[in-house]
Amino acid sequence: MTRGWWKHMVLILGAIIVLAPFYMMLSYSLKSPGEIDRGVGGFFGRQEMMVDPRCVALRQPDRADIDAARARFPGQDDAGIQAALQAETETACSMRPVVFNYTKAFTEAPLMRYLLNGVIVTVSIFLIQIVVALPAAYALAKLRFWGREAVFGLVLFCLLIPVHAIALPLYIMLAKLGLTNTYAALVVPWTISVFGIFLMRQFFMTVPDDLIDAARMDGMSELAIVWRVMLPTAIPALLAFAIFSIVAHWNDYFWPRIVVTGNRDLFTPPLGLREFKGDGDGSFFGPMMATATIIVTPLIVAFLIAQRRFIEGITLSGMK
Amino acid sequence: MAVSDAVAALPAKPENRQARTAWGLTAPALALMVSILLVPVIVAGILSFTNYSLGNPGFDWIGTQNYERLFTRSTYEKMFIATFTYVVTVVPISVGLGLGAALLVHSLGRIGDIYKTIYFLPVMATLLAMAIAWEFMLHPTIGMVNRTLAMACGTWFEVIPFFANGCAEGFPLWLGDRDYAIWVVCFIGIWQGFGFNMVLYLAGLTSVHRELYHAAEMDGAKSGWEKFWLVTWPALGPTTVFVVTISCIRAFQVFDTIEAFWPQGGGPNKSAYVMMFAIFEKGVQQNLIGIGSAITMLFLVFVMFLTLIQRWLVERKVHYG
Repeated sequence: MTRGWWKHMVLILGAIIVLAPFYMMLSYSLKSPGEIDRGVGGFFGRQEMMVDPRCVALRQPDRADIDAARARFPGQDDAGIQAALQAETETACSMRPVVFNYTKAFTEAPLMRYLLNGVIVTVSIFLIQIVVALPAAYALAKLRFWGREAVFGLVLFCLLIPVHAIALPLYIMLAKLGLTNTYAALVVPWTISVFGIFLMRQFFMTVPDDLIDAARMDGMSELAIVWRVMLPTAIPALLAFAIFSIVAHWNDYFWPRIVVTGNRDLFTPPLGLREFKGDGDGSFFGPMMATATIIVTPLIVAFLIAQRRFIEGITLSGMK
Repeated sequence: MAVSDAVAALPAKPENRQARTAWGLTAPALALMVSILLVPVIVAGILSFTNYSLGNPGFDWIGTQNYERLFTRSTYEKMFIATFTYVVTVVPISVGLGLGAALLVHSLGRIGDIYKTIYFLPVMATLLAMAIAWEFMLHPTIGMVNRTLAMACGTWFEVIPFFANGCAEGFPLWLGDRDYAIWVVCFIGIWQGFGFNMVLYLAGLTSVHRELYHAAEMDGAKSGWEKFWLVTWPALGPTTVFVVTISCIRAFQVFDTIEAFWPQGGGPNKSAYVMMFAIFEKGVQQNLIGIGSAITMLFLVFVMFLTLIQRWLVERKVHYG
């Protein structure tokens, strides 16, 4: 420990740089616009009550409001009533900066919808990947058939093609089919995971043949063997693959950016954040950072809870 | 499915039945592989020789004009420069930092795990969100970076020309300055990627046998430096090959940060106009599918070439055993 102090110095310096944007993101999501502009208030900000200018502007009392409120303020002239109403609105519109930022994140844009879309897309991608890849992996690992080498060769070749790289022809094909701006467009290109096939095949190779033969004796069909015998043995590999797949597609920005244009109902979380940034003026840093925090948090929290599994999953591509 | 029909016609020997089910099980994967991965490559290959646009009824064959354009126009020269600057900067530095961090973390034992967790955070976080966070950090007036730099004003730091200039005339605009833009993007690429490399190296380090270090000591390797070159570095060879390849492929695909910083045009004076952004801008936004496809083909050639080199290196390494 004492001899290793320089190592800690170096690593801590690195950690500060790595954590700086996270610190800033979280801190800005807690502070008031004024504090962000002036760069004061430490990490949490002072959390003084602040007035939401947009809320006040929306509830500006008009003639009818003043007439309606006349009974509540007897003996005052119009200007007095207006001032009183103004004060009431300001109280109603004032809140702690942290509340302001996080409510704005959900009300300025349909963030809940975006998050739901993110879940729908990532989960369907993962499930379809598994439904397609597991039977193929089983056949390639455990069944003898003419053409097996050719199919596996094709899998190895397809491993060379990053889906992002062929985004343009995929986009054209989907556009020709009239599928842009649909959930299908977000999911379809990722339904085939050659990497998943390759990985599960490698894993299935290690499953003893006796297990499969016993299942056949029991009269199970091959498809039933895939789901009832092979799948349970493959849970650890499957979990790692799930993490790999979900992290990649929750965070993906490039592909949704291409196939979803304009239709906010289909926005995934990164697209929603992008939109927020696009139409935000300077005063909306707080709510925007709150949105960013909300999008980043689920994976970070899951990672902190199940670190080893996550590291296994993400670095999966390394275990060949 | 023609194959399975042909098989079905034969008397149902067990092998035939197995072959039939096997084709049945692989059919969905096979169909998707062909239609989602192979057909698009062919489509891009064909369209790269045309002037096709979405919405047009047909297209003209224009031979290699698209490719000629790629190699003659200054926009694409900038594209190649930006892409290769990014790859050539990010790959060595993120691999080097990954290795360095892994060696330090590994030598610390269990206490090192905390650093491992921290350095891995950027790998998990949505890059687009973090790019926006970095953009705020680098904001010329209210950003944390320039505020921190400004704190050095009036201290002995001003000896350094960078600080002297910054304090006198204001610190750089970073994203708005064409001399800095691409380097900032590189920095974020490194920031995001080195933790991933570190984790791969850590996995590699745990598999280096202790006996090898003892053997090296017997052979007279005294310093840690000598032991590193004699034992650790060769033992990490396969890991390095893999880490370099995957870093290259990821670096080629950089897009999120660039699009977040400069939705139009790819940076000041196109200094950060990388290939993925070019494909997006030309092919999708401007509907110039021919030229977009040509860039796509070139991109695929680069990436496949890299992966093939990696496979070749790995296979050669295996024989060292």
